[in-house]
Amino acid sequence: MFPGAESARDRARLSSQPAGLANLRRHKPDYWIIVLCAILLAVGLVVIYSISPALAITSGVSGSYFVDRQALAIGLSIIAFIATTRIPLERFRSSYKLLLAIGVLATLVAIVLPVNPNYPAHRWVRLGSLSFESVELLKFALLIWLANFLTIKIKQGAIANFRKTAVPILAAMGVIGVVVAFIQSDLGSTGVIVAMMGIMAFVAGLPIKRILIIGGLIVLVGVLAVIATPYRLARIETYLHPTANCQSTGYQACQSIIAVGSGGITGLGLGSSVQAYGYLPEADNDSIFAIYAEKFGFIGSIILLAVFAALFYRITRVSERAPDDFSRLVVVGVLTWISVETIINIGAMVGLLPLKGITLPFISYGGTSLVFFAAAMGLVYQISGYSSHVSPTSSRNLKGRSNDNDYSSHRRGLGGSYHPNPGNRSRA
Amino acid sequence: MFNSSGPSPAKSVGRIRIWFGIIAATIAIFGLRLFDVQIIQYGHYKQAALNDQLKQYQIPATRGIIEAEDGNSVVPIVLNQKLYTLFADPPFIKHPDVVASQISKIVGGSPQSYLPALTMKGTQYAVLAKKLTQTQSDAITKLKDPGLGTQGQYYRVYPDGDLAAQLLGFVNQNGVGVYGVEQALNPQLAGKPGLLKAITDVNGVPLAASKQNTQIPPTPGKNVVLTINVGIQEQLQQILANEYKATKSQDVSAVIINPYNGHVKAMANYPSYNPGNYASVTNSKLFDNNVVDYPIEPGSVMKTLTTSAALDSGSITPNETFFDPAHWVINGFNITDIKQDGGARQQNIASILALSLNTGATWMLMQMSQKGNTIINANGINTWHDYMVNHFRLGQPTGIEQGYEAAGYVPPANMQDPSIDLRYANTAFGQGVSVTALQLGAALSSVLNGGTYYQPTLVSQMISSNGQTTVNQPKVLERNVVKPNVGQELVPLMQGVVKAYLHGGFSFMNFPSNYIVGGKTGTAQVAKPTGGYYKNVYNGSYVGFVGGNKPQYVIVVYAIKPNVPGYAGSYAGQPIFADIAHMLINDGYVLPKN
Repeated sequence: MFPGAESARDRARLSSQPAGLANLRRHKPDYWIIVLCAILLAVGLVVIYSISPALAITSGVSGSYFVDRQALAIGLSIIAFIATTRIPLERFRSSYKLLLAIGVLATLVAIVLPVNPNYPAHRWVRLGSLSFESVELLKFALLIWLANFLTIKIKQGAIANFRKTAVPILAAMGVIGVVVAFIQSDLGSTGVIVAMMGIMAFVAGLPIKRILIIGGLIVLVGVLAVIATPYRLARIETYLHPTANCQSTGYQACQSIIAVGSGGITGLGLGSSVQAYGYLPEADNDSIFAIYAEKFGFIGSIILLAVFAALFYRITRVSERAPDDFSRLVVVGVLTWISVETIINIGAMVGLLPLKGITLPFISYGGTSLVFFAAAMGLVYQISGYSSHVSPTSSRNLKGRSNDNDYSSHRRGLGGSYHPNPGNRSRA
Repeated sequence: MFNSSGPSPAKSVGRIRIWFGIIAATIAIFGLRLFDVQIIQYGHYKQAALNDQLKQYQIPATRGIIEAEDGNSVVPIVLNQKLYTLFADPPFIKHPDVVASQISKIVGGSPQSYLPALTMKGTQYAVLAKKLTQTQSDAITKLKDPGLGTQGQYYRVYPDGDLAAQLLGFVNQNGVGVYGVEQALNPQLAGKPGLLKAITDVNGVPLAASKQNTQIPPTPGKNVVLTINVGIQEQLQQILANEYKATKSQDVSAVIINPYNGHVKAMANYPSYNPGNYASVTNSKLFDNNVVDYPIEPGSVMKTLTTSAALDSGSITPNETFFDPAHWVINGFNITDIKQDGGARQQNIASILALSLNTGATWMLMQMSQKGNTIINANGINTWHDYMVNHFRLGQPTGIEQGYEAAGYVPPANMQDPSIDLRYANTAFGQGVSVTALQLGAALSSVLNGGTYYQPTLVSQMISSNGQTTVNQPKVLERNVVKPNVGQELVPLMQGVVKAYLHGGFSFMNFPSNYIVGGKTGTAQVAKPTGGYYKNVYNGSYVGFVGGNKPQYVIVVYAIKPNVPGYAGSYAGQPIFADIAHMLINDGYVLPKN
């Protein structure tokens, strides 16, 4: 029944839909994903290395501290990446309850634990010398849960059923809004999660009208959250008037745009950032794009944006060709997660969005987010190695692809699995 | 059924593409924004960055030292020493008790005395001790306490203590010279601070060389070599200290000038202070160099200048005699002599000075008005005014290198003033006119040296940091003060005064015969601030010279409000002069007659 190339392990990786299995193709995964992620990691490491003298002065630790820690984080990320490429996707799907439970537990622990006086927010879980932000784990767990939930609703034909589909999603968003946005004061991550869930629901096929209603509600809640918390209001004011109060609330926003602008066309050069020397807060972390832009200028910044855009394009392509709904939704979730964080971060650095305390994926210093991004990319990479035999857009998309087209499939004797009706894949 | 409830993959992919389109569009907007910020508005943001990052620092210049002549060599009398201020950053002091005892071991003092500063609230800079030595500072640094720090600062040190204190002045906490030479020559001594323009970190620490970094090295201040003779200065200060007590004066001052170039050889006042401890001086009047900044009505010492003017203008001759009526009535007021020796009788020029006849000084003003007559008119007043102001340069600062030099006062020759005659008769014997000791010394010098007014000076040379020496050439301010013969005629007249006092019982006025010593006393009434004069309060003054073949030093002494059993000039000014003249002779500073 299965083509010879398929192994038992391959079967286990995939969704349990029989039709999907019938159409399944295994081919070379998308190596571009690795290449692009590696470029971003390398850029991050180089920038952190180059500003480590400044960081050493402002933080009082040794010059190699940040580079060592980032290298360690990259090492852990590679392990996480390899793990999630190897562990069958189905395994994640089947253990979504466990993941969710761990995510909730981590969040509770973070809330219960006494806070670090330097970062007075209940966001961190500390285990000895290790610490991570609970919300990253929660993002990952929610991603798997929601992809599974939506796949089931698709299968049940209930995707358009407001009560069965939209209400649980809204309820989840509501809980997250209370816990992450209010208790943990992490509006940025809340925004990322809500965007991730919203886009996944959108791609899963929730009616547009419903999404607009949900979106309207989210905006309303967001506005209320902003009004309720003075410092958020201050950040919005800062955003509206970036140069009005450089010394107080607008200091970071002001210094970041100064860093970006003073980079000019070609930048000050790798070793020549001045803003990293205490002017720009979080130079290694949230503000790293501004430091990059100061060092490498317009040309370097555009290249970096292009690398991000290329990565998002590759992920988009993987999701288009994903072999089944669950895989597709997972990939869309990862795409949204990473791209929204990128947009929120860079948007703040160039003064187009308010500061949100979100790191720049793959570039910023900080172990937690890096490991979870890598884990998420591992899933994407795993899925990129499969596609349904006939993609819904096969006639347009599959042309010219050397390793995954109709002809090669035929040559490999897989034609027997050809299914002329893509709609069957989601039959209930 | 599936078509109605689930998405078709095509629909799904369409929605993925919409989402990617939004992402791509957002990134494109960021690209445009970067174009705007990094290229179009580059100048604005570059300037904003430099406003924060580019800082200017002054690199302090080393202050020049001050030296003076001592025998045949030149010795430093003001030096620089780097001393350290010890300060605490109290929030970083973990165990104040421990730190306090560590400090007391290094710096001294009781540990308790450091506790208030170590535990001070609301500050990050609490001074614990000042003027630590390099060794002490190093010991503090070795403690490696993050709450302690030392800050180096150059201080002036004075190897000779209070030597020449008031003429030197001091350097205040802001590094600015105040009083004396330090004030007057502050620009030369201070040099020019260098400038460091550098991109710095947020704490102002310059970063490694960048294109914007510029450095202008400081120009060290010039070393100043004074005309002061350390030996004479020391002796003068000792004499003043002794006579201050003996005469029970409020203040005593004296200046010794070389009349042939205006060089001040010594200049002192008592009481004085130690410039190394200027901060502990509570009475700021001690900082004043009274020789240059305390003009008084000089009294009869002025008669030396009146005589010089009358001789120079041809109004009198040195051997002339006249009938002294013992009083003149001028503008309705009686002018009499303090000493009522013998009443009305024939007098001569020598006796005017020896007996200090006010009526004689007034008579000389009458001769300047109209020779052979006894009236005061515009001619005499204008002539005398011209001598005082333009020849003897009274009423204006001499321009010596001192802070706060006073101008003194010469009444204007205003003929509309109904009491102008009386006013000017008074100036002829040193009342109603105010003069500093230095002005008097410089004026007398110009008469005795043959008629050249040299600007009195304290600077013999300046040496710049590259070793270039600039000798301070004598500066002639007035070439024809009096004719050369006037000085020659005045010398015996002033010697006569000394001899008269010796014969009158002032045995200390006895000088070896191979030296010439001349002088003139002055006992001046002291004006009340409210007008009129105090009764029984006088200032004693003395002008004189000492030399061999010719006058070598001109000496002026002011004793302010002495308490002596006789005329202030004779009993306070004169003994101080005598001490000085004896010292100069005895210590070999005067070339005897050959």
